Amino acid sequence: MASDKIKPPISLSILALFGLILLLLQLMSSATQESSELSAMYSWLLLVNALGSVVLLGLVGANIYSLARQLKKREAGSRLTTRMVSLFVVLALAPAAIVFYFSMQFLHQGIDSWFNVEIDRAMEDALELSQASLDQRMRWNLKKTRQLADKLEDSPATLATFEIENLRDLSGASEVTLFSRQGRIIASSSNNPSDILPSLPDEHIWLQLRQSGEFVALAPVREAELMIRSIVTVNGKEPQYLQALYPVPVRIADLADSVEFAFVRYQQMHFLRHSLKLSFSLALSLVLLMSLLAAIWVAFISIRNIIAPVKALVKGTQAVASGNYDQELPVIAQDDLGFLVESFNEMTRRIARASDETRMAGIEVENQRAYLETILANLTAGVISFDAVYKIRTANQAAYRIFHVHVNQFVGRTLLELVQGYAELAEPLKSIQRLVEQADDIWQQRIAFLGSNGRQELLCRGTPLFSQDGRRVGAVVVFDDVTDLIQAQKNAAWGEVARRLAHEIKNPLTPIQLSAERLQHKLAEKLTAPDAEMLQRSTTTIVQQVEAMKEMVDDFSEYAKPSKKQTVDIDLPGLVQEVLALYVLKSGVKFKTNYDAGLLMVKGDPVSIRQVLHNLIKNALEAIDGKGLIEISLHRVQKNNTDFIEIAIYDDGPGIKDEQIEQIFEPYVTTKAKGTGLGLAIVKKIIEEHGGAIWVDTSRRLPGTAEVSQSVGNRCDKVGAGFIIQLPACNF
Amino acid sequence: MRASASHKSSLCRSLLCCFLLWLLPTLSHADTFGVVVKNAEIALKGDSYLLSADINFQLSARAKEALQNGVPLFWDIHIKTLQHRDYFWDSTLVNAAIRYRIQYHALLNMYRVRNEGSRDVYNFSTLSAALDLMSTIRDFRVMDKTFYVPGKRYSVGIKVTLDRDALPLPLRPVAYANPQWYLSSDWTLWPLTK
Repeated sequence: MASDKIKPPISLSILALFGLILLLLQLMSSATQESSELSAMYSWLLLVNALGSVVLLGLVGANIYSLARQLKKREAGSRLTTRMVSLFVVLALAPAAIVFYFSMQFLHQGIDSWFNVEIDRAMEDALELSQASLDQRMRWNLKKTRQLADKLEDSPATLATFEIENLRDLSGASEVTLFSRQGRIIASSSNNPSDILPSLPDEHIWLQLRQSGEFVALAPVREAELMIRSIVTVNGKEPQYLQALYPVPVRIADLADSVEFAFVRYQQMHFLRHSLKLSFSLALSLVLLMSLLAAIWVAFISIRNIIAPVKALVKGTQAVASGNYDQELPVIAQDDLGFLVESFNEMTRRIARASDETRMAGIEVENQRAYLETILANLTAGVISFDAVYKIRTANQAAYRIFHVHVNQFVGRTLLELVQGYAELAEPLKSIQRLVEQADDIWQQRIAFLGSNGRQELLCRGTPLFSQDGRRVGAVVVFDDVTDLIQAQKNAAWGEVARRLAHEIKNPLTPIQLSAERLQHKLAEKLTAPDAEMLQRSTTTIVQQVEAMKEMVDDFSEYAKPSKKQTVDIDLPGLVQEVLALYVLKSGVKFKTNYDAGLLMVKGDPVSIRQVLHNLIKNALEAIDGKGLIEISLHRVQKNNTDFIEIAIYDDGPGIKDEQIEQIFEPYVTTKAKGTGLGLAIVKKIIEEHGGAIWVDTSRRLPGTAEVSQSVGNRCDKVGAGFIIQLPACNF
Repeated sequence: MRASASHKSSLCRSLLCCFLLWLLPTLSHADTFGVVVKNAEIALKGDSYLLSADINFQLSARAKEALQNGVPLFWDIHIKTLQHRDYFWDSTLVNAAIRYRIQYHALLNMYRVRNEGSRDVYNFSTLSAALDLMSTIRDFRVMDKTFYVPGKRYSVGIKVTLDRDALPLPLRPVAYANPQWYLSSDWTLWPLTK
């Protein structure tokens, strides 16, 4: 921020640069004027300008290189910059090139127009005229000198010194000198007394003199003074040379000088024509080059400044596209682009807000879903939802508890697919699948099946799900395991029956028995022997049957009364051993026990549990008909996070028929000729009152029983029967 | 591929030929023009060391043409006396220059040489005579005897330069670019002995 403040505005820097360039160009332009003081600096100015051009070229080159790299990287805004710069260069270059071309044309034509054959000729003629005029004067002067020499020929050498003075006056020469043949000065006279030494001819003049005997030429004595030097031979005994210097009249000298100046100037210009064109072209090119390069460079800077918001916008858009809504672009200027940037910022703010709201809604939905899932998971009823093709979408924990199939195995499969892994569930699953597929409305059905824990009864309620346009999109099935409920209902009904029976039947039985005995007692003596015997037989039958009915009624009352009278900790192995001790003496029966190590304790009424064991062992003994193997095992098992003690009793008897398995625990269900059919019902009642469960184990048989079954040819499917009891274990 | 390679090599060869052809006149001119200090002699006369030297001026065709067309040429004959020092750069004891201007006068058909220092003017009917005047240096005083320190080494150098910045303005860029105008000599140094 501080550096921004210190930095001068870019427009000022550009203005300063342009000023400098203009100054340099102006200086160079001034230097081209021959008379200018800057003329001496022309080369330096040219060099500085050329260097400036090179620097600008470098700057432009660097910008182009940077732009090319940006283009290669496909950076935001690079293509727009390229387009704008190209447009600018074309727009700037085209008129500049046209102006440059015509300027060059005018320049060349202008310079060429200075020179033409007529002026050439006139200049040469003027010079020739001057030369002819001077030539004439020279010849006339030579003639005069010859006359002087003639006069001097006759006079003796000694008088020459005096004679020369006269001769000079006579001829009008400014200086007259007589040289010996060797070039020695014999006599000299000058109209300027200060000239001590006369003007001496150089070696070239002497050479010419010796060759032709005469010499005449113009001699510039001083800068602007012309003299005519004429030398002639003075004939005599010893040849001598007379040199006479005649001044050229000032006017003629001036005119000749003027003509020469003009001629030289013209000739110079003519000679320098190409250099002049080159020089002007160079200056013009330099001006054009510098201006163009500076303009292009400034264009680069300006376009970069213009593009900056666009670039930021592109980057911002890319960021927004990739999901970053926190973009806040700086508003550089309050122009259209600034407005665009502000609009963009507003848009991103709104998007961010909308995105936040969506996310919050998502979280809300997720929470709701989790809440529902928790509720579903904690429902005792199993809930399974299906999609449109009847694949399971969700299933809760209760479904797992009811079917004993893990939830993970439900999802994404149809019920029929599940059947393959769980044969015992085939019947209910097929029924549910059929109902789900067929029902167009809410349906409810009870489905009974034989599960791994015995007979189970499910109450299923299904609801097909429809989309808003009436398409079937799935279904929901809710099912409850109502086995216990139904059993409880049955138990209650049976209990009521038993209680009524005990009450209604037991009361008249005693009078019946007593009456029969009284009849026997009173009439036996009064009857004849055959009648007395018949009476005896009848009364005995009555008494026996009454006894039997009493036993039956006792059994009923036993069944009807609650079994869990007191609750203590029972050491099951001890209890089992205690009960078995009563049976081990029986010949032909072999008992086998198998207990888990450690404490196997349950809470319950020991009398009731003992009765359970008695009933089951008795049942087994009856099944094996007094000889065979009875196996009792005690195991610790865990089910639904609860510890159970499992009591398993197996025999190698004829087994239980499939159709009986379902009803074997019902009162009055028995396969035996003798018995009330209440034994297993009471067992089941006691176990359930202790919070346990009992079922027929169809999965296990004693070894060798299958062979027995085949050899005997019995129709039973299962050979050897087994009961499994699970009681909640005591936790210490 | 081979064809293109041979094409490339032939292109290179022709380019080299062109370059050599362009260089050839430059080389030939380099032999025929330029200024060389031919010989120099330093003699002790009286209290002064006097330098006599002969310089060979060979003007290039372009310079002669310019001179013929009335362009004056300015020549500087730089003369310096150096005292050598072992650990430092040499000190310049005398630094003198003779500046001549030579110009052709069309009216008189003469070459006029003017010593810009003494303002003496000499006229010659031929260019060689005019150049002769500039090429002869006789008894130019380079150092007083009193400055001579025995044991030190001295040398006298001569350099002749054509003042290109004194040329007419349009000719200056050309003069810097065209080798025909590179007429100046290098420094020629002679040891000054007692």
